[in-house]
This record gives sequence, structure tokens and C-alpha cells, in this order.
Amino acid sequence: MMQFTEAPPQPFHQMTSFSNPTMNKNQIHRTRPWPGFPTSKSLAGSFGDANCMEQLLVHCANAIESNDATLAQQILWVLNNIALPDGDSNQRLTCGFLRALIARAANSGSCKMLAAMANAHSNLAMDMYKFSIIELASFVDLTPWHRFGFTAANAAILDAVEGYSAIHIVDLSMTHCMQIPTLIDAIANRQEVPPLVKLTVVTAIQDVPPILDFSYDELGSKLVNFARSRNILMEFRVIPSSYKDGFANLIEQLRVQNFVYGESNEALVINCHMMLHYIPDETLVAIPTSNSSLYYGFECSPSPTSSLRTMFLKAVRSLDPTIVVLVDEDADLTSNNLVCRLRSAFNYLWIPYDTMDSFLPRGSKQRQWYEADICWKIENVIAYEGLQRVERLENKSMWVQRMRNANFRGVSFGEDAVSEVKTMLDEHAAGWGLKKEEEDLVLTWKGHNVVFATTWVPA
Amino acid sequence: MPVDLDNSSTASGEASVSSSGNQSQPAKPTAKKKRSLPGMPDPDAEVIALSPKTLMATNRFVCEICNKGFQRDQNLQLHRRGHNLPWKLRQRSSKEVKKRVYVCPESSCVHHDPSRALGDLTGIKKHFCRKHGEKKWKCDKCSKKYAVQSDWKAHSKICGTREYKCDCGTLFSRRDSFITHRAFCDALAEESARAQTQPGANPNSESETKVQAVDSSPPTPTPAPAPAPVPAPAKAKAKAKAPPAPPQSTSVISSVLPIKSPELPENPTQIVEEAPVTTGLNGSCSSTNSSSSNGSTSCSVFASLFASSTAPASLQTPQTPAFTDLIRAMARPADPPTDLPRQSSTEPISLCLSTSHGSSIFGTAGQERRQYAPPPQPAMSATALLQKAAQMGAAATNASLLRGFGIVSSSSSSGQQDGLKELMMGTPSVFGPKQTTLDFLGLGMAAGGSPNSGLSALITSIGGGLDVAAAAASFGGGEYSGKDMGRSS
Repeated sequence: MMQFTEAPPQPFHQMTSFSNPTMNKNQIHRTRPWPGFPTSKSLAGSFGDANCMEQLLVHCANAIESNDATLAQQILWVLNNIALPDGDSNQRLTCGFLRALIARAANSGSCKMLAAMANAHSNLAMDMYKFSIIELASFVDLTPWHRFGFTAANAAILDAVEGYSAIHIVDLSMTHCMQIPTLIDAIANRQEVPPLVKLTVVTAIQDVPPILDFSYDELGSKLVNFARSRNILMEFRVIPSSYKDGFANLIEQLRVQNFVYGESNEALVINCHMMLHYIPDETLVAIPTSNSSLYYGFECSPSPTSSLRTMFLKAVRSLDPTIVVLVDEDADLTSNNLVCRLRSAFNYLWIPYDTMDSFLPRGSKQRQWYEADICWKIENVIAYEGLQRVERLENKSMWVQRMRNANFRGVSFGEDAVSEVKTMLDEHAAGWGLKKEEEDLVLTWKGHNVVFATTWVPA
Repeated sequence: MPVDLDNSSTASGEASVSSSGNQSQPAKPTAKKKRSLPGMPDPDAEVIALSPKTLMATNRFVCEICNKGFQRDQNLQLHRRGHNLPWKLRQRSSKEVKKRVYVCPESSCVHHDPSRALGDLTGIKKHFCRKHGEKKWKCDKCSKKYAVQSDWKAHSKICGTREYKCDCGTLFSRRDSFITHRAFCDALAEESARAQTQPGANPNSESETKVQAVDSSPPTPTPAPAPAPVPAPAKAKAKAKAPPAPPQSTSVISSVLPIKSPELPENPTQIVEEAPVTTGLNGSCSSTNSSSSNGSTSCSVFASLFASSTAPASLQTPQTPAFTDLIRAMARPADPPTDLPRQSSTEPISLCLSTSHGSSIFGTAGQERRQYAPPPQPAMSATALLQKAAQMGAAATNASLLRGFGIVSSSSSSGQQDGLKELMMGTPSVFGPKQTTLDFLGLGMAAGGSPNSGLSALITSIGGGLDVAAAAASFGGGEYSGKDMGRSS
């Protein structure tokens, strides 16, 4: 029965410790810390935690805002010493904010030189890596950040377009159609009589990363070719339109199309993937193009409460789409108060830094690209104001409210969508999670909301 | 249980022989250094040798009630609690915790040598199974055999999942990834182009069969494997490597970057002791100096923002010739004098200059800002030069100056907070005009004492780090000596 009640197991053959000089040497080798790492630790020491870094950044932002150059410089100096660009994820995050604050300090000065410097940095896009199509595809594929939205949206769209002989997909996506191949593939597999697929995109947002090394013509011909290989006839159309005026031209074109094809058996899918938050919201005081409301062509008087964002959603609603998918990052970066924005951004953008180690090795090229993208965001949120500040994220609740105000009704994701997202998340690090909030799906990292996905139909 | 002590002494000899022979793990020791060799136990650890039978006996600790077996006595004891039986957990006293290491029973194995013993029982067990045991677990799909069940399980999970292969040779474990790649890969374009040019072939049916070929039997190549799609990606990469920005300005930026105090001449807050520095630097920094004079009148905020910490740096310069030399050395190769006339007073110049402003103070940050672009080599070598200068003998002051610029990687020996402390305490001797003033932010407080209150207020409100508080105290008052601060933190 019970064989060994005594703690040290009997059958062990025990030897006394041996003394081997080479062993000791080996031991030293093993216990020596990694070269290069101790510095950051010793420096970070008491400063190291994220709260303190956030505090310092907030103080620095306040100093810059109150034109206290001396104080600002002092804090920048301290931050520079604790926020190592090659440190841990918090240090790198802080480093990104530090750079953004420096840029802001330069921007806010009145002298010409600083303006020139600001210009130099607003052209960061020129220095940013330009992706080839294949590189962008594998880059987007690295993390659930985009794949979550792709998977959920595709499943929802697939459900919604069942039975239509033609599907018109308007892809408003930051990822430049990277979602489309899987959607085409799913449509091809699902439907017995393959429908006609019309894909409409707007001219690439050239000034927001990821920056492309290819034209939309090239992209379109590849997609059409791929669709053909899946036995699907596809039309690809690029409409020159920008978020700056609320995609007024796109709406106009769609309205014409809707007039022509509205009666036929054609589904209209509006797929918004992390793009709508670039449309100016209410906090952007001056609505830039008053004639955009002319484009919209229905009465929405540009009252102070209305914004291009609101107008766009109303315009989309007037198209009577079959389904609208809205996927975006779940944070609020719209405040006109720099400190609020800084806090909000800091408490959201730690996530991409934190996730990075789970899918990109240190020092890899893709990691540099990835960090550069986040740094671009930080700088845009912190260093810029007015029309230049385009990263105007809003919380999910805000978007839900907007959609309801525009007379949309939320639809639940099907079980297929949920299970597909779960399967997809299983392929990634353990920190990722899926949360159902009412009708919506939310991608989480260690329990924190990252990206939300919602689907809408006309109410 | 076999207890043969002398076996251990002979084992080491055997082990060294076999390590050079059939064992694959230690076969490449030169590349990976000694650290990655498995099994380098603590010399003080207790070495335990088990017979193969004992080693393989799983769950040797069996519950007398339910016959459930456990691998560890501790676990059995915990289990006994559930039966309301008397149980006894070993107390973890520091004396009793003696580290145990385990050797492999196979005498021809390197891990039979106590010096290569493995740290845990499960580890040695799996090792013994894998290397010297029978492979009785077979994968149904690929017939691969495994000796350890968990290995077989892990393999079964992924076996067959890497089944998507594009004609370009890329493998994919996920269908989504494969589909997306496939859509944009040149292999597909070439394939369908060929299909369309084939006389008499119906393009639709052709592409359909291709699809099936790709999807259903991925490991086998499609009937007519496409040639490698080299041209387009190669072109893309070449394009990407070429710097897109105007070459003139970029070259200036990177060359100016390592120079520490280019804006000195136009600095309005700097009152004293500039002159020697300026002369010392003028030769190397002439390009920036000439252009900086353009903006000097209008630039007030920025100059004052960045000036004061560079100013003390310049104070430092005459004291340490090595550093001045260093700056010259850095500037000389990078400085393109022929470009000077062309760029004299245009916007791009002032633009470059202001970049150098930022980087001159924020040594590392300034460089990292351009992380968007591939990191420039000159900056790296500048760092190396700085480190070398520090070694070259300019003593403690110099080193702490270097720290002030954020180049701290050389001080690996310092403990958790020592680096910061050193940084704080070392800095004043460099930056401050008086040795007694603890001026860790490098502000040159002698010029005007007013900003003190601001910072101490800041730091007090942070209230987190001891070091900060201590520094703030000394900083605000200026009456603490370096010793005091050392004690207080």
C-alpha cells in the first residue's frame, strides 16, 4: 500500500557534493546577468513603474501647456533617463510619449525654427517603412489586433448577404483590403451560385501608417485575380475620397449607385475597420468644409452639436445598407485637453507594447515597424492639434450611441462568428481574450478592452 | 537499489568521451558557448542517481485508501487530507532545502556525469525516455514515433496543421493566413496569367482545378510549379531601402546628431564661460553654427527650453580635453564642409539644426526618434566613442557626464538604484557651477534660483521614488551635501 511515508525517498542513491573547480567556473557563467539589461533596471529602479512614468508625463505636459519651459525641460530630462527606448515595454511606451512631448514643445513655440522642426516631424511618414503587399499581409496577420475584426466582420457579413446575387462591399479599412481575400474565399465556399462581388474602396490614406509601397491599381488587380481563381467575378473600384470631409465624395457616388442598383438583388455592405475615427468629431471645433454638407445633400445644419462624423453615419443610413460593420479601437482620444488625452492614450497604448513580446522577437524588423506605427499614433495624439490630429478614437459606448442616433439597430454576432474568433484567438498568445457585451464582441488583452466589433442594420 | 559510488568517478571519463561522439546536444559547443549546455548544476547540490526502474516508476507514492498514485510524496500528503487521514507536509526550512540534481542512469550518457546532472526529476525522466527508451507512441497521421507521451500529444496537436503551402514556397499553419497571402502573392498572378494564355483552355475551369490542387493536396506541388516570383518583392525591397527623404537634409541630420552643443552661440540664457567652449567647438560644428545664427533672435522658448542643460555641458568641456577631442573626432568625419554654402540660410537647414537641438540634449531619445528610419551608423559609433572616452581616463566627472547624456550601458555593475544615485550625485560635479550644489537636472542653478520651487513641487507631488524625493530636497535647498543625500537614500 503506502510505500514511502518518509519525506526523503529511500531508493535514492546519494552522493556528497563534489568539488570540481571547472564546475564553479561554469556556475559563474550561468549566474552572470545578461549583458545590457542591468542598466535599464538600475536606472528604472524606483521610477520604473507605469504610474510614476504617467505622472511624470502628465507633469511635463502641464508644464509645456503652461509655457513653463524650464520645468518642462527638467522633466523631459528626467524622463529621458528613465524611459529607455530599448527598455521594457513601459519604458518604450514612455519613450514614445517623451518624443511626442518634445515634438509638442517644439510645435508650441512661436519661432520659425521650431515650426520648421515640426514640419520635419510631420513628415515622418516619409521615413516610415513602406510595405509591399505581401509584407503588409503578413504584418497584419501577426496579431489579433486586426484579425479579430476581420474574423468577426467576415462571419457577420457572410450571414447577412446570404441569398443575394450581388454583393457590394464598401471597405473602409485601415489595412488596405487585407480583410477581403478571406471574405471572398468564404463567399466562394458558402454560396452555390457565386454572386457578383463589387468592391469599393476609397483612395488610400497616404498620411497614416501603414504606408504602402504599391498602388491601389495593383492591389485591385490582385484581388480581382484572386477572386477569379475562386470562381467569383469581382469589380474593383477606387473612389477618391478622404476622411477629412467625411468621405463626402464616396457617399455621393454610393448614392448614385444605390439609385441604379437599389432595386436589384444587391446587398450593400459597409465595412468600417478602424477608419471612422479619422473623421472629424465634435471636438474639432471648426468643421473644415462647409460644402461637404452640400455634398450630403440633406438637411443637417452644421450646428455645433453636429459633426462630420454624425453626418457621415446619417448619410450611410440613408443608403439603406444591408449591414454595417463597425470595428475600432476601444479608447477615447478625442479630448481637447492634452493631459486627458495623454492619460487616456497612455492607458491604452501600453497594450500593443505589452503584447509585442508575444509575437515579435526583440530586434526584428517587423517589431521596428510595429513600434513605429504606435509611435506615430502617440505623436499624432500628443503633439498635434486641430485638423492635424487625426487619431480621434472614441469608446465603444460612444460609437454605439452614435449608431443609434443615426437610426441603426445593433445585431448580435452569430455563434459561428464567436467560435471563429475563439479559434483564431487560440492561435495567439494566452493573454488575448474575447468578451461579449450585449450584442457586441470585444477583443481583450489581459482583461482590458482592446478592439470592439459591432454590426448594425437600419432600424 | 544500486549504490555504487565509484561509478560516479568513472562516469565522468565516459561522459567526456561520449560528448564528443554520439551525443548531438554538446556536438556544437563552440557556437553556443557553455551557457546553453543542459545540465550545469549547482556544485553544492546533492547528486542523486536512480536506477532505470525507479526512475520510470510513475506514481510511486500510492494512497492506501483509493490506490491513487502520486509522483511526489508532498502531493500524496495533500491528497490524504481529503480522506481525513493523518498527513504530514515537510516544513520548508532553509537548512533542509538542499538542492537536488539527478543523473541519467545510462552510463554512456553525458548526463550520467554528475557535473552534467539535470535539475529536476521529471526532466531526467523525460530525458531518459527520449534518449534511451523505447518509442512506443506513434502518430497516426505521419507515423512519427515518440517515447514520451506528452511529446506525442504535443505533436498530434500540430501534426498536419502546417499544411498550407503557397507555390512561392511559403508555409502556413493557418488557412486565413494562407488565403490572404495567396491572394497577393505573385505566384497566383503568374499562374493565372499562364492559364489565360494557354490556347483552348477555359480560364475558369483551369483556375478552379488549380484551387483544388492547392487546397486539397497542399504538400505536393501543383502540376506545373510556378517559377519563383523573385522580381517584384526584390524590387520592392530595393525600393524600400533607398531613403525616400531628400538626401541632403538627411545626411545633415545624421551628421550633426552626435555633436553635443551646437547651439551654444545663440543661447540667450548663457552668460558666462561660453567663449572657450565655442572656440573649441567651432571648427567642428561650423555648419550648424552658421545656420543657427539665423534663428537666434526669434527662438526664445525653445532655446531656453533646451539651453540650460547643454550649457553646463559646455562648462564641462574645457576641464576635460578628452571630451572636447571626442566631440571633434565625432564631428569631423560626419561634417560635410562642401555642403555648407549651398545650405546656408534655407528652411531645411534650420530644420536640421533644430533636430540637432533636440538630440543634443536627449542623446538617446534624439536618436531613437528616428527609429522610424533604420538607425544610423554614425550615432552608434558616437556612443562607442563616448564610452571609449570615458575609459580613456577622464575620471569620475567625465563618466557621470556621459550618464547625463543617457549613455549608461557601461555601468552594468551598479545595483538596482545605484545607477540612478550615481547619476544624481555625479551630475552636479559636471553640470553645476559649484561642486556643492546638487544639481541633478543639470540646470546651472547659480544663474537664477527661481525654477527650484517648481521642480520640487513636481517631485513632491510624485511622491513615489525615494531617490526623487531625496534629490528634490537637495535640489530645492541646495544646502545638502552629496554625503547627506547618499545617506538619505
